[in-house]
This record gives sequence, structure tokens and C-alpha cells, in this order.
Amino acid sequence: MLQKAGFKEVEQVTETGFDSSPATQAMLFRARKLVLFDLGKNDPAVQDAMATYQSFFETVYAEGALDRKTKHLIALGASLAAGCEP
Amino acid sequence: MEEKITQKDRTRIQAGIRGKYRKVAQSPGGLFKYPTGRAGLEGLAYDPDQIKRLPEPVAASYCGVGNPFSLGPVNPGDAVLDIGCGAGVDTLIAALMAGPPGKAVGVDVVPEMLARAEENRRLTGIENASFQQASGEKLPFGDGSFDVVISNGVINLIPDKASVLKEAWRVLKPGGRLMIADQMLADAPPRDPAVRIDKWAQ
Repeated sequence: MLQKAGFKEVEQVTETGFDSSPATQAMLFRARKLVLFDLGKNDPAVQDAMATYQSFFETVYAEGALDRKTKHLIALGASLAAGCEP
Repeated sequence: MEEKITQKDRTRIQAGIRGKYRKVAQSPGGLFKYPTGRAGLEGLAYDPDQIKRLPEPVAASYCGVGNPFSLGPVNPGDAVLDIGCGAGVDTLIAALMAGPPGKAVGVDVVPEMLARAEENRRLTGIENASFQQASGEKLPFGDGSFDVVISNGVINLIPDKASVLKEAWRVLKPGGRLMIADQMLADAPPRDPAVRIDKWAQ
């Protein structure tokens, strides 16, 4: 159901033990909304490239000596100067 | 679950949930099969420093089924949404982690829970948290408003789960994360729809 909603990297991480009844189990889930999505979703080679790019993108924009907002503003300035189409 | 839930069923489910959580808003003690309050927070391995930060009445109001914060960080500056915030303990913890540049917003459908959340906020003095009445099925926020969406023991109570997840996806920024703790059915649901609706908020 998470994947149908558009989430990627869906993980059922673990049980917590706080079950509300004998018929249920408490679980922890996480998922992510990818930055770039729905491109070439049926082509494994494209998916692989996209996942690698996604990982590169997140590493570049991770909080560091410069915060995320500053990095994005620099990138915006650079792309405007370079005349990048949206 | 392929069987459709009728509007009449929905009304019964909502009434059942509101009835139960009206009591929970006063005190969750004894109303759940698992520990609540400070014992619940400790049992689920919340950060001890964060637990210490909560005044006794705030900690006592906690009734979650997992620690969503164990699934990933809340970074300073993040905007966090808590779907089904109840008395707001997770929302307040998220607000602490996001710090003043960030914020945490909790939504819930039970007015008594929201009132308790506001009271808890007042007791902790946390300013970057807010609460409003809304259902996870229809969130009153624009696309891409939040870095993180959390939910703790709530989606199991909501009839239209697909809508909640789609809404959570919609309000997340690209790159945003969903961190949920919830109850899963371990067996097949009861066959009799009347029994199933009765057991909804068990």
C-alpha cells in the first residue's frame, strides 16, 4: 500500500512488542519520497542509474559545512547563470 | 481487505474511536494492553534525555505502539507532521529535535486529545509545535510541506488507509521520509463484517 501511494525504499524495520491484541503485531515502517521519481520505472538499467544519481544528489545536498538551504541556493544560482531549462 | 466499508460503518468506526480516545485523553492508564505513559516511553526506548524533558502529566499521557524516531533522524530545521498526534508527545519530541528553525505540527480528529496536546505544549513551554483538528485522510497542507511525516499507532484506526498514505506522500517534500509505528493484522481479519467493525479500535 505504501508503494502504491508513491513511496520508495519501503522497509518493515522491526516489531516493537507493543501488540494491541493477540491478532495484531506492532511494527515499525519507514519509506521515502524520492527526489526524482517515475522515470524509466520498468527499465532496471535506468532504475539503477537513477538510484545512483539519487544517492549522489542526497550526498551533495546533505547538511555539512554549508547547510542544505545554502547549497540549494548556490545550485539555483549556478543553473540560472548556465541557462538551464527547468 | 477487499470488502467495502459503508458510510454507516465509517460513522460507527469514528464514533468508537472518538469514544475510546475521549477517555484516553484524560488518562491512557489501563486502557491498552501495553504500557503507556512514562513506562511506555521507556519500554519503547525513547531517548532518556527527551523523556526527562517531559513534565510528569505530559509523559503520563503517552500511548504509542513504537518509537518512530528510531527509524531515522529529525534534523534541525525540519518541518515534521504527526498524523494522529493524540496528546502530542511525539509532536513535542519532534519539535525539540527540529529546534527553533524547525517545527512540528500534530493533527488529530478527537477534540479532547487536541485539548490535551495544547495543555501538554503549555506545560513543556515548547513553542515550535502546533496542533490542529484534521484527519489523515484529508490533510490541510500544501504539497511538499514537510521533511518528515510520523505516525504512531493511528493508521490502523483509519478506514481509508490508502488515502492517508497518499496524503502523507503528497505533503512530503521530495526526499522526505515517512516513519510509522503501527499495528498489523497477524491473522486474517474476522470474517463477519460486524465483528470486524466492532474490533476496529480494540
